[in-house]
Amino acid sequence: MAAYILRRTVSTVAVMVMVGMFVFLLLRMAPGDPAAIIAGRSATEEMIAGIREQLGLNDPMLLQFIHWVRDMLGGDFGNSIFAARPVLELISQRLEPTLSLSILTMILSVTAGVSFGVLAAWRTGGLVDRLLTAFSALGYSVPVFVIGYFLIYFFAIRTHWLPVQGYKPIEGGLGPWFTHLILPTLALGLGFIAFIARVTRASMLEVLSEDYMRTAAAKGAPSYAMLVHHALKNAGVPILTVIGISFAYMIGGVVLTETVFNIPGIGRLVVDAINNRDYPIIQSVLILTSGLYVLINLTVDLAYTLIDPRIRY
Amino acid sequence: MRLSRRNLFKLGAAAGTALSFPSIVRAQTAPTDVRTVRLTMADLTVFDPIFTTTDPTQTHGLNIYDTLFALDSELKPQPQMVGNWGVSDDKKTYTFELRDGLGWHDGTPVTAADCVASIRRWGQAGGQLLMERAKDISKKDDKTFTIVLKEPLGVLIDMLGRIPAPCPFIMREKDAERPFAEQVTTNIGSGPFKFNESLLKPGSSYTYDRNEKYVPRSEPSNGLAGGKVVKVDRVIWQNIADQQTSLAALQAAEVDFVELPPADLYSMIESDPSLELQVLNKSGTDMCLRMNCLHKPFDNVNARQAILHLIDQEAFLRVTAPDPRFGRPVTSIFGNSTPYSNDENTGWFKKGGDPEKAKQLLKESGYTGEKVVILDPTDWAEAHAACQLLADTLRKIDINVELASSDWGGLVARRGNMGSVENGGWSIFITNDPDYVQGEPPSAVFLNASGDKAWFGWPKNDEYEALRGKWADVGTLDERKTLARKMQRVWWDFVGDVRLGQIVTPVARRKTLTGLIEVPATLIPFWNLQKGSV
Repeated sequence: MAAYILRRTVSTVAVMVMVGMFVFLLLRMAPGDPAAIIAGRSATEEMIAGIREQLGLNDPMLLQFIHWVRDMLGGDFGNSIFAARPVLELISQRLEPTLSLSILTMILSVTAGVSFGVLAAWRTGGLVDRLLTAFSALGYSVPVFVIGYFLIYFFAIRTHWLPVQGYKPIEGGLGPWFTHLILPTLALGLGFIAFIARVTRASMLEVLSEDYMRTAAAKGAPSYAMLVHHALKNAGVPILTVIGISFAYMIGGVVLTETVFNIPGIGRLVVDAINNRDYPIIQSVLILTSGLYVLINLTVDLAYTLIDPRIRY
Repeated sequence: MRLSRRNLFKLGAAAGTALSFPSIVRAQTAPTDVRTVRLTMADLTVFDPIFTTTDPTQTHGLNIYDTLFALDSELKPQPQMVGNWGVSDDKKTYTFELRDGLGWHDGTPVTAADCVASIRRWGQAGGQLLMERAKDISKKDDKTFTIVLKEPLGVLIDMLGRIPAPCPFIMREKDAERPFAEQVTTNIGSGPFKFNESLLKPGSSYTYDRNEKYVPRSEPSNGLAGGKVVKVDRVIWQNIADQQTSLAALQAAEVDFVELPPADLYSMIESDPSLELQVLNKSGTDMCLRMNCLHKPFDNVNARQAILHLIDQEAFLRVTAPDPRFGRPVTSIFGNSTPYSNDENTGWFKKGGDPEKAKQLLKESGYTGEKVVILDPTDWAEAHAACQLLADTLRKIDINVELASSDWGGLVARRGNMGSVENGGWSIFITNDPDYVQGEPPSAVFLNASGDKAWFGWPKNDEYEALRGKWADVGTLDERKTLARKMQRVWWDFVGDVRLGQIVTPVARRKTLTGLIEVPATLIPFWNLQKGSV
């Protein structure tokens, strides 16, 4: 197991390095000039040239790459071209909102999705199952921003129950933190609830038709024990896989949700950076995100061993 | 007591219900404090107003820095940081004395040395004309400095009070000693607001606290001139990227002001009794079509004239400013709002354009179907819509059009390419510039026709440039108006660019927020703002 974790950790670093190189080259080859964007729409060519020189953007690409790799190895992710502040400082400021939103969304998605899925499989063809099917179709097909606008309209503008937008740090109190995240979590979570519920239902149905489930029923095992101890545990591997995938997919959904609800998170940071061609931010966020992806996959792989003792690495 | 599964479930359900019960969270959306104003504006990505020309940075500078002179509501420069000033008989030596009570936010006094360093730094970015004419800029004592010119410069005071970016803001000497291309990030000014670094959230919100030590001028507030009296304790500048969300926040009283409300929701704003649309910048911006004068087909004056005659400004305004209250044609190269706006040589303007005349001129230009590449910025809604319409309009007179779509960042990279379209160049791009800026021909980028030293498109006309060169030396308003007519006559003959209309954009505010100062620029002064109880 230890050797496996070590191997995967090393591969994580390799993936991050490759992503870094790819992103660096891609950004330099893509059209766009940060100096021109900084200088503004009405800037003269002299102003733009002066800024470009100052930022080192006239240096050969190879030299820029060498400087970047050297600084990265020293733990220096560089400064934002626009904000003139360390990239890591900007990322750390944005980490809490994104983590808060992601974790709350995962908690909601997993608890609601698995519960709905189990219930639908238990009463297959019944009302719950049919409602789940309808809900899943809705959750899949309605984009996050549409759900977001609806939620804002009903719960913030019409009723004033919840705030429209913004984020309150957790250090300011659990109440404000939580209330600012209710609508974003619901908007982002509905699609994932539908996804996890559908997979849970399908996986549970397969397990429920197994002989050992019939045996357990014949022996008089209560429904709860049958569903949770026997069926859900055996249906767990595909469910865990989709939860891992959902976490990875969530990074895309977070960008939209943060925009709609004006949450100053990593998603907003990277979108603004792409619009501004703020290379150091884009590079750093994408490298860290790729590392996160690999780590999530590793965590999911390790979690398999907890629910299925036959799996060994 | 043993906690059973059933009890645990009950406990969880009760906790969930309590947390989601709406009444306990109602307080979170309570109206903001009356001494704090929340403004939703475009993001402030750069803090140094000399380093960039972007509007948000100029607004930031306007509120934390001060200027030597400031424009009043009639666009006349009035002393702001300057107490007394005078000019020698030969009009070559200007002497300025700072008024009393000026101090930096760090507690040190503003000195003449700060002013000298600031003027020199600004001179590299926006005051090149002054630097070309200046023989010496130096301090005489702590409160007095002089500008000695090689030859008279009639527009010197106008330049020191100008609002086209970059504005000549006065910074501390140690900040202003940096090259203009090196960003100043200390945010210490001498203006009516202090920037609160501890509450800075880059990309999200920026907080400005009242500078309690600021001494306003005694004159009443008048445009950007007069006393800058601060009537609130704090202004919070929020960047809400999504326009729909910013409007929802305004409706829910989470913010007091939205700088750029979505045009398709104007009617909804006007139907809400607590909200109001207000035009603060009545001069707005002029949309402009820049043609690449270096390459076919627009290296030929007849081809450029064809475009001038073809364009139906009202049709373009329908896509860029759908509400007719906020857009109107502009036929003068000096815009609609400047004192130099005139109707010289504007016979080309016809309702609906003149496609037949355009076809004839295009034929005379010798156009043989060369590809015309329009740079189309898809992330700028107005320009993107105008590009789509332009492509359609050009095709109607059989021009071979190709739209090169990219975001604005991609466009600015490509527009600097002086090569032909086969070599990655371009033929047309659409942009805008403030209307009032067109009243400053020495610095207005649209009004430069010096060939490869001109702005993108590189129009060249020596006769026009000779006239433009006289601008700085003309002393009176009437003489400048006469010169403006001559310049315009030549401009519309060689067609340095084509205008697509003037657009003004209203802001949306809650009616409880008052005291917004009307400025002929996309600048938002924070002083004078007042907030009533809600």
